[in-house]
Amino acid sequence: MMGLLLQFVLAVFATLGFAIIFRVPVRHMVPCVVVGALGWVTYEVTLYCIDSASVGCFVAACAVGLLSTVCAYVFKDASTIFVIPGILCLVPGSKIFQTMEALLLHEMENAAEIGLQTLMMAGSIAIGLLTVGAVSNIAIKIVKKLRTIV
Amino acid sequence: MDKKKQKKILILAIQAGKIMMKSGAEIYRVEDTITRICKACGIDYVNVFATPTGIFVSIDNENGDDTVTYIKRIKSSETNLSKISQVNDFSRKFTTTDLSVEDGMKMLDEIDAERKYPLTVRIIGAGFVASCFSTMFGGNVIDFLIAFIAGMICYVCSRFLEKFEVNFFIRGLCCCALAAFLALVAQASVDGAGYGTIVTGCLMLFVPGVAITNSIRDFLSGDMVSGLARMVEAILTAVALAAGSGIVIKLWYIAGGFGL
Repeated sequence: MMGLLLQFVLAVFATLGFAIIFRVPVRHMVPCVVVGALGWVTYEVTLYCIDSASVGCFVAACAVGLLSTVCAYVFKDASTIFVIPGILCLVPGSKIFQTMEALLLHEMENAAEIGLQTLMMAGSIAIGLLTVGAVSNIAIKIVKKLRTIV
Repeated sequence: MDKKKQKKILILAIQAGKIMMKSGAEIYRVEDTITRICKACGIDYVNVFATPTGIFVSIDNENGDDTVTYIKRIKSSETNLSKISQVNDFSRKFTTTDLSVEDGMKMLDEIDAERKYPLTVRIIGAGFVASCFSTMFGGNVIDFLIAFIAGMICYVCSRFLEKFEVNFFIRGLCCCALAAFLALVAQASVDGAGYGTIVTGCLMLFVPGVAITNSIRDFLSGDMVSGLARMVEAILTAVALAAGSGIVIKLWYIAGGFGL
């Protein structure tokens, strides 16, 4: 539990850093940071429960996508502002590094395995975002239809 | 509608699109904004084709005998989410109220002139990114502190290279090479520091998160060309990061240092 809290705090500061670099408007800073940190915590929790990095990425990307769609709706702004800093935490930077390390050591089997994992994690992020995008598109259309009927 | 007015509207719309595209918006949003602005001014026939490197807009009047096409090449791009948000607001305001085209152009120029956060703040932000990630990936307190400094130095290096318009591949490569060098020096001189987590932390500063996110969203809305372009950008950036840090670590090893 303490570990998770620490991870949350670290993720808050990491996302805050990204938010500053990519110039998120000050009024959106807090929701943006919360989305990113919750995404990372979701990843950690899924990783702990299921022990699969790609499933973790998928669930976390879904969480980030969903939260930022909600934020975009609540704060009436482009969802890009909330998605980009959130997703950046999930990009498998450490796996890229490990793949490269294995390649340097001529451990081809290891490199192939970790490299494939990296690709799968990136793919999971993509599928997660795609799923949320498609679902929210349908949801928005249904809501609009309902409004015209009512 | 006379030709002069038509042209002014077209330039306004394309300027809005250009600012958005440069700041890292999705294709769908850019095309939608341009179409909305043109439609709000009474131009019914609008066709937009936007890619990350250029925007093509064609407008026509109701008789179909007055086609005007405009091509805008987009060279550099720099993610600035505030500009996307502001142009979004602008297009909403422009389409719902009767702002004149001249006033609109003035507002867009103001948005475009907006600066990023001060450099010192951004450098500290970069330090936070690097240090927090190095700890999230299993580093200790010493790694945290070293990664903070290394992250700041790498970000300054990246800004410096950007000033000289070095392309993104070389930039990522150089910055990660610097990060790896700093991390290796740190491990050699400071007790308890591990270069792995420090390099990973600095690497996270340059990972192609914007390219990945945008390419997926472009695929989702059916803009295959842009999706592919951004996907390739993401892959190339990742390769550059790995190669940059890899080269330095290997050289360090060959030169007789530890590592690996």
